[in-house]
Amino acid sequence: MKQNDVTYIYQNTFSSLLALIKILIDHKIKPMNLKNTDYNPTLLDTIIELELKDEKSFLFWQIKTSKKIINIAYYVFLSNADNKELIIYYFLLNSLKYQEKIIHMRNLKCVDKALKISAYVSHENHKFKGFTRFKELQNHILYATISPENNILPILSKHFQNRLKNENWIIKDEKRQIISIYDKKNFYLVNASNFSLNELQDCQEEKQIAALWKNFYKTISIKERKNERCRNNFMPKKYWKNMLEMSDEIEKDNK
Amino acid sequence: MNLQEKLQILANSAKYDASCSSSGSLKRRTGKIGTTAFSGICHSFSSDGRCISLLKILLTNCCIFDCKYCLNRKSNNIKRAIFSPVEICTITMNFYKRNYIEGLFLSSGIIKSPDYTMNLMIETIDLLRHKYHFGGYIHAKAIPGTSDILIKKLGHLVDRLSANIELPTASSLKLLAPNKEFKKVDRIMNYVHMNKSKKFVPAGQSTQMIIGATQETDKDIMERSETLYKKYDLKRVFYSAYIPVNKDKLLPSIITPPLKRENRLYQADWLLRFYHFTVSDILDEHHPNFNILLDPKTDWALKHLSEFPKEINTCSYKDLLKIPGVGVTSAKRIYSSRKLFTITFKDLKNMGVVLKRAKYFITCNHKYFINPIFFNKQFIESNLVLEEKELNSHNRKQLSLFE
Repeated sequence: MKQNDVTYIYQNTFSSLLALIKILIDHKIKPMNLKNTDYNPTLLDTIIELELKDEKSFLFWQIKTSKKIINIAYYVFLSNADNKELIIYYFLLNSLKYQEKIIHMRNLKCVDKALKISAYVSHENHKFKGFTRFKELQNHILYATISPENNILPILSKHFQNRLKNENWIIKDEKRQIISIYDKKNFYLVNASNFSLNELQDCQEEKQIAALWKNFYKTISIKERKNERCRNNFMPKKYWKNMLEMSDEIEKDNK
Repeated sequence: MNLQEKLQILANSAKYDASCSSSGSLKRRTGKIGTTAFSGICHSFSSDGRCISLLKILLTNCCIFDCKYCLNRKSNNIKRAIFSPVEICTITMNFYKRNYIEGLFLSSGIIKSPDYTMNLMIETIDLLRHKYHFGGYIHAKAIPGTSDILIKKLGHLVDRLSANIELPTASSLKLLAPNKEFKKVDRIMNYVHMNKSKKFVPAGQSTQMIIGATQETDKDIMERSETLYKKYDLKRVFYSAYIPVNKDKLLPSIITPPLKRENRLYQADWLLRFYHFTVSDILDEHHPNFNILLDPKTDWALKHLSEFPKEINTCSYKDLLKIPGVGVTSAKRIYSSRKLFTITFKDLKNMGVVLKRAKYFITCNHKYFINPIFFNKQFIESNLVLEEKELNSHNRKQLSLFE
């Protein structure tokens, strides 16, 4: 375990990554690569999978760093950034040395990257607090599909857990094929392949309400102020496909 | 008239109000559905680039007033409609649970009398809060001329309550809105200010004025805002570029709304609220209007070049805020970071400073970004004017209207 040029594997969860990083730091190993179990190794790779004790290490990080630092690392973990695991590794390694001060040390590349990436994830999550569109199904379940750049579903679910606390809702991340199911108490993240939603039909009034919203959206715009570039800055086109009010414009674009 | 047509008429009649924000409310209501977010949430953006956060509608567009600039004035021959309280509640609830909106923004034309109208609004919002148990954001417009008791009632139901001053000065209001009285709007603002609490208008009040319909200079407008912020602790003053919806000999004959001017006013408004500027810093009798070529802060900095360049690693926090291209967030970052290491130009970029503006006004560790002989007004001004020009043509991102 002394060699540094190997790829270390963790079990796809944040706590597993934290456990792996703790072991590496304990053994003074500076890794080349940290990957989750989805990683397809090449012929030249040496792969090492260690036994990871998640809970014990989580406690270690809580004591040795802070909630704020772990939270930044978690947001980076949810991102789609290349080499996010290595960024987290160096960010945490330096956190042990500099503690809370680390947050102001943007002259360290790992800090600059970690802060930028976590801000990006947080920003996208904020956008989806607004951009997520539910429809009501026949059995009164609210159902939404999202397609974000980062894996924001775990944090986005917390928002809707508060906001729509007395509703049953389902949010599907169609990019990652993950579903969040809320049962008026807790939400559960499950793999979409374990779950069939094909038979669910819209509730009776769904069409009428959707039409009201689309009409409102068109009406509220002031034609003398038309500024599509400004709209596209705030609401990038990549998000439009799951937004009900944009369906007509997408159709127009495609023609 | 079906619901679809009603919504179209009453949203169309409400859309000229610039306010959209859903922010500022910390209060956790005990509703069965809905929360408020302190930072506010934008749910969509319309094709004019404005944020859609709230279901912005009028209760009715019938109005006994005849304000010259207003689409809903009595003398206009337009279709009129009125929502029933239940209709408003149904739309709000259905939109809210589908996450189309952050809440309701209810305003109204004046039907019969101010008190009668306010009572209808109160009935609606009371129903929404207590029968439908709605805990989301509500912004209501108070109707000038209503009795205090009704303002009190409404204020306890909503997050934000506001009254529009409509025009920057009392004389303009008299000219264009002969039925409205400046002191009645003032009275509402004062009442809300004096009674504000966690239970009464927790998200504070805002107001809006129309820009470019009357003769005021930017200085007149900003001085009015400055007074309002000081006197009533307003959360926001919204500036709404005049859009000609009516023909009237008292109104200016313009075709395009003065959007650039509106943008400059918002930039200056930010300087007042977050950057410790006063109106007298940025405008005076000889320059009563903003420079359309440069943003107000850059314009100010060029006029006060003797105060620059500022040394990033040692100047005060207040001085950091005076540097063009440095915002509140980046100023805070610089302030906390420079205790730990010496900041270079590259670090500034990482902190979110807009270097292409800031670099002319600063030194990093006593180094200017080019040969210091170029630190002179003409050189900097010509570069920045072109920079601004490029920014406008490539990226017409207007200053966002939300907090």
